[in-house]
Amino acid sequence: MHDEVFRGRRRFAVRSMVAAGALIALAACSSGSSGGSSGGGAATGGDTSNLPATIKVVSTNPTTGVVAFAGNAANKGYDLAVKEINEQKFLGNSTIQLEKSDTKSTAATAAQVATTAIGDKSVAALFGSVSSNEAVAQSPLAQKGGVPIIYTQAGSDGVVIGDYTYRATPLMREYYPIIKKFIQEKGYKSIGIIYTQATPTLQNIGGQTLPAIAKELGMTVTGSIGVQGTTQDYAAPISQILGGKPDVVSILLVGAQNPTAMKQLRQAGYTGEVLGNSGASAGNLKPAGADGAGMVWPVDFNYQQTAASSKKFVAAYKAANGAEDPLNYAAEAYDAAWFLAKSIKQAGSADRAKIKDGMAVVAKEKFDGALGSGLIWVDRDLQVPGVVVRWNGEKEDLLYEAAGVSTSTVSPTSSGSSTTGP
Amino acid sequence: MQELIGALSLASIYVLFALGMSLTWGTIDILNFAHGSIFMFSSFTAYLLLQRAPLPFLVMVLIGIVVGALLSLLIQVLAFEQILKRAKDKRSAEMQILIGGIGIAIVPLSIAQYYTKSTPFGFEGSPFEVTKLTFGNYWITNVQLMTIVLAAVLGVATSLWLRRSRQGLALRAIGVDSEVASIMGVDRRRLALGAMAVSGALAGLAGILLTYSLGAITPESGDTLLVKAFAAIILGGVGSTAGVYAGSFLLAAAETVVLTQTNGLWVDAVSFGLIFLVLLVRPSGLFGRKEVRRT
Repeated sequence: MHDEVFRGRRRFAVRSMVAAGALIALAACSSGSSGGSSGGGAATGGDTSNLPATIKVVSTNPTTGVVAFAGNAANKGYDLAVKEINEQKFLGNSTIQLEKSDTKSTAATAAQVATTAIGDKSVAALFGSVSSNEAVAQSPLAQKGGVPIIYTQAGSDGVVIGDYTYRATPLMREYYPIIKKFIQEKGYKSIGIIYTQATPTLQNIGGQTLPAIAKELGMTVTGSIGVQGTTQDYAAPISQILGGKPDVVSILLVGAQNPTAMKQLRQAGYTGEVLGNSGASAGNLKPAGADGAGMVWPVDFNYQQTAASSKKFVAAYKAANGAEDPLNYAAEAYDAAWFLAKSIKQAGSADRAKIKDGMAVVAKEKFDGALGSGLIWVDRDLQVPGVVVRWNGEKEDLLYEAAGVSTSTVSPTSSGSSTTGP
Repeated sequence: MQELIGALSLASIYVLFALGMSLTWGTIDILNFAHGSIFMFSSFTAYLLLQRAPLPFLVMVLIGIVVGALLSLLIQVLAFEQILKRAKDKRSAEMQILIGGIGIAIVPLSIAQYYTKSTPFGFEGSPFEVTKLTFGNYWITNVQLMTIVLAAVLGVATSLWLRRSRQGLALRAIGVDSEVASIMGVDRRRLALGAMAVSGALAGLAGILLTYSLGAITPESGDTLLVKAFAAIILGGVGSTAGVYAGSFLLAAAETVVLTQTNGLWVDAVSFGLIFLVLLVRPSGLFGRKEVRRT
């Protein structure tokens, strides 16, 4: 009997050790690296051993044309993320091969390059165009073609249209209201708005979002003029808007339109601050010199924001790009690329449909990224806290950061003067 | 009144730009669709040189004029003359020059896009200040005033030269019948080169003035103006200097009225609709002539 008991205990011990060994082996297989300098935690599940040696991903963004400033910045974010993903062996022995196709800032070319990439069966996923006009042309192709596509910017309807389409940038109309605090502090009672009709995003901000904010705050809209994308001279609309004697003027334009409008606004005698949009970023206001100072706009990212994951991203970006400060386009693209990597890992496959399923799983997790901490996906759109910045004539100053995601409560980092963060 | 000043300034830019196009189209039958690129690249070259040294206003203008003229001459010698030599007839030559101009325009555009990454560029390092001249409740900048005066002076000078000088007469003769003009001793090539150089110089001048006035342009800015200039020439009548003025002012006025009185979305629709209406009534344009004589 004593021997039977001993044999029983020995069998139990062996079984326990085997079970423990199996558990240890399972844990070793399923945990990858911690995921990027600020790419958030590892995706759960996913066996990278079945991934191909190279996973081809194509960025279809404008690197020439009127929106090139955003497309080029986004590509820098993709480059940094892919470099980290590969160096850290986040996908095991698989590496991501990033290719770039120029959409030339036109919808027709954007559709063409997307079609080419979709037709290439070796392409696992796409990074879509930053331009709404182009993205709207690409989304139906990607959705129908069954290719996962992740956008940044492209904040109009008709972009996120199905389970293959994601957007790693909140809609501008979602975060634009964080400017309410600035408006309230300044005590503005009336506003005049000039906005471009060239993009659906700014049509929405100028035609609906900002007037709604004004109404909520008890302000009067003294004038609202939509201008075409081909407009180069803003003297006439500025003169008309200033005729209404608003407390504050809003200029919602893209690219080179911003410095021209600011110069002509100052020439017309307006010296106050101007509510703008992130289309004035990327140094687009520099040609306006001192006349450009005073434009204020909400944006989803600024290199001075204080979240730990954002600061890690900024440090990594500067190290890779010669001490250059990253733009929001780069931060968005960085998070988009890490989201894709986590999705591939979750899927354990470079198959397009499986990546799509992986994206759905990963999108349920809150994460810390370049755009901030506690980021969440809602209906395949990323939600971020957002910040408000002011152009001082030479660079952007951070005025304040929103407290959290999807809230209008603001937690200022300063009393309104510039801050460079801790 | 302030809107009128703005419209006048805008029209003057259209005049300076369109005058060059009209000059070559109305005399040597060259509709140069690279004109917009020449305009932009002249300004871009001045911008590049300004990065190296703080250049005064007159030097910047000179750079624009010289670069515009040289670029135009280069295009004429390397492209348009070769097309003309090989074309089987005048009609096919005109079409090939039109297409060739569109193709050639991409080269300076691509160079500027590559260098600037399509971000706006201006003359912010220039020691020249754009200042405001105020009179009562109205104002005009020094650059706008210069543009208006130059457009008037150069337009009148061009018109007088074409009508009263020997070279102008010879150029007009080429426009009527180049072969007969050649038989009469007119050096077609020399005059064509001269016309292209003047055309390019005007584009370069317009580029510098517009960049100072707007504060910034992009590599694509020339394309927008090209369409407007083409419309102004058609509206005013091909080959007519007075027509260029009339077309430019009518277009600028229509744009300003629509912009200030309605939603800005209708600017192009109304402006070009107006041109369509005028052409229904006068197909040759406001100052164009029906007869064979095109100048």
